Amino acid sequence: MKLSTESSNKIKFALIVGTVFLTVLTIFSFFVGRYPLTLSGIISGDSRQWQVFVTLRASRGIVGCIGGFVLGVAGFVFQTVFRNPLASPDIIGVSSGASAGAAFGILFLSGSMAVTASAFAGALGSVVLALMLASLTAGQDGRGIVLAGIAVHSLAQTALIFLKLLADPEKQLASIEYWIMGSLNGISLYSIKGNVILCILCVSALFLLYRQIMMLSLHDDEGRMLGVHTQHLRLLILLIATLATSGIISMTGLISFISLLAPHGARLIIKNNRLSTMFLSGIIGGCLLTLGDILARSVASTELPVSIFTSLVGAPFLIYLCVRRNRES
Amino acid sequence: MSLLTISHLSAGYGRKEILHDISFTSRPGTITGILGANGCGKTTLLKAIANILPHKGSCLLAENTLESLSARELAKQCGYIPQKSGITIDLTVLDVVLMGYHPDLSLLQPPTVQMKEHAKATLTMVGLPDREQANYNQLSEGQKQLCILARTFVGARKLLLLDEPESALDFRFRNQMMQHLRTYVTAHDACALVTLHDPSLALNTCDELLVLSKGTRSGKISPKLTPVSKMESLLSSIYGTINITKLHDKSGNEHLVMIQEESI
Repeated sequence: MKLSTESSNKIKFALIVGTVFLTVLTIFSFFVGRYPLTLSGIISGDSRQWQVFVTLRASRGIVGCIGGFVLGVAGFVFQTVFRNPLASPDIIGVSSGASAGAAFGILFLSGSMAVTASAFAGALGSVVLALMLASLTAGQDGRGIVLAGIAVHSLAQTALIFLKLLADPEKQLASIEYWIMGSLNGISLYSIKGNVILCILCVSALFLLYRQIMMLSLHDDEGRMLGVHTQHLRLLILLIATLATSGIISMTGLISFISLLAPHGARLIIKNNRLSTMFLSGIIGGCLLTLGDILARSVASTELPVSIFTSLVGAPFLIYLCVRRNRES
Repeated sequence: MSLLTISHLSAGYGRKEILHDISFTSRPGTITGILGANGCGKTTLLKAIANILPHKGSCLLAENTLESLSARELAKQCGYIPQKSGITIDLTVLDVVLMGYHPDLSLLQPPTVQMKEHAKATLTMVGLPDREQANYNQLSEGQKQLCILARTFVGARKLLLLDEPESALDFRFRNQMMQHLRTYVTAHDACALVTLHDPSLALNTCDELLVLSKGTRSGKISPKLTPVSKMESLLSSIYGTINITKLHDKSGNEHLVMIQEESI
């Protein structure tokens, strides 16, 4: 009994520290950027500073925080449902679908809102297609979904290449490439309200469904014998998790590694999979993206893609995890 | 009065039929062992009754036809222990046991305090006290089986299907496990179907034994009633020439022991 209270205290500590750190990091990110902001300036109501804060920095900070949280939680859900530590929303074609959608938007529609909508439609379309294909194959244990995801992924890549060929190389091709690189630049609170609300709803639903997500970590037969309607439940949960992910990457472009990495970080701190592990995945995801974005806008004189920094942190961390796992076994 | 009635059950994988026309009944409060050589269809029989495998024939539990129930309703009637549980992610032992309540909970409902208390008590009963916060994957294979046994017990189902639950347990735990099972079926008026590898354990702990050979039923034994010579001839057909001897322990209880005859 003593041992269990000790570990639950440790978990509480990790959650509190994580939440505080993410909050501090997000507030700090408000003050990083080309136009200098000061706390006193904002409080005293300096109109120029206030405008920069509201239209640029605040929205960017919030998207970094919430976006990273969503990606971290989605990664946790995918790794659990597929029982595979390397799973992330990408394996069922979310990111390639979003890229193709965004390219379509850049070529044929106008305005950043339209590109976001088109990327969102692309991401969701490819996931729905993948899940439909998977339901045709009598997929055991979700493997059918992975195979269908790979097929849809290559289809979406082909569509993307075709769209790039059509694009005017001066302007449109550059925009497509820039979109794919991913950035939190130019996000404004007014245009993203819908996405943010969608993400919050989806993530709340995932937390409510936590017990069901854990039931999907069992083999299908075992789950069925405990009364789980595995096929339907898996579709529902994957759909919610991809909706949330699409909501984020349709605004930001591709962001690598966070979905993969954040759950591993959380499991490193909390040894078992619990509700708090899922929450901590989100917190770590939020920290990674916010930190990445702070670096992206401050390291060089121009904006750099945020994926450079999430990958720079992510790749060594992944190798560290593999080494550690080898040592443990 | 029988609780479980299996009639004319045939099942298999794909087009290959492995079980042919099996019928038997089990009374409430009894343990029925299923014996047979490897590959004779023991697991197939349990999976067919659990409705995981498509099959012909019917399984009747009290007045319910198991085939007509939804996964959730079936899970309320019937608990199943697979040969090896497929838990691959790190979960606490308590969370694994609480999964046994899944069919009783609605979509968003968390397990109640009473459920948690009962789960802890059950863990203590099966011999895993103070381990509820341990990582399931770091338990020994035997402890994992005890944990899954606790998960199956908490739901208080009328029918338990256990697929070689003793395979990873040592001598002492094997006997203990069968005792736990005995306590369970008596307390809940339930019936248990158990596939077993160890014929001596089966002879001494089960009320009835169903003997399978190449997917057909070759006979039924009631260890307390069937004459030894009949048991010998029936079991010899699946294990080669064997000999059943009666031994008494120090308190005078009779035990059956099966040994292999030297083959020449």
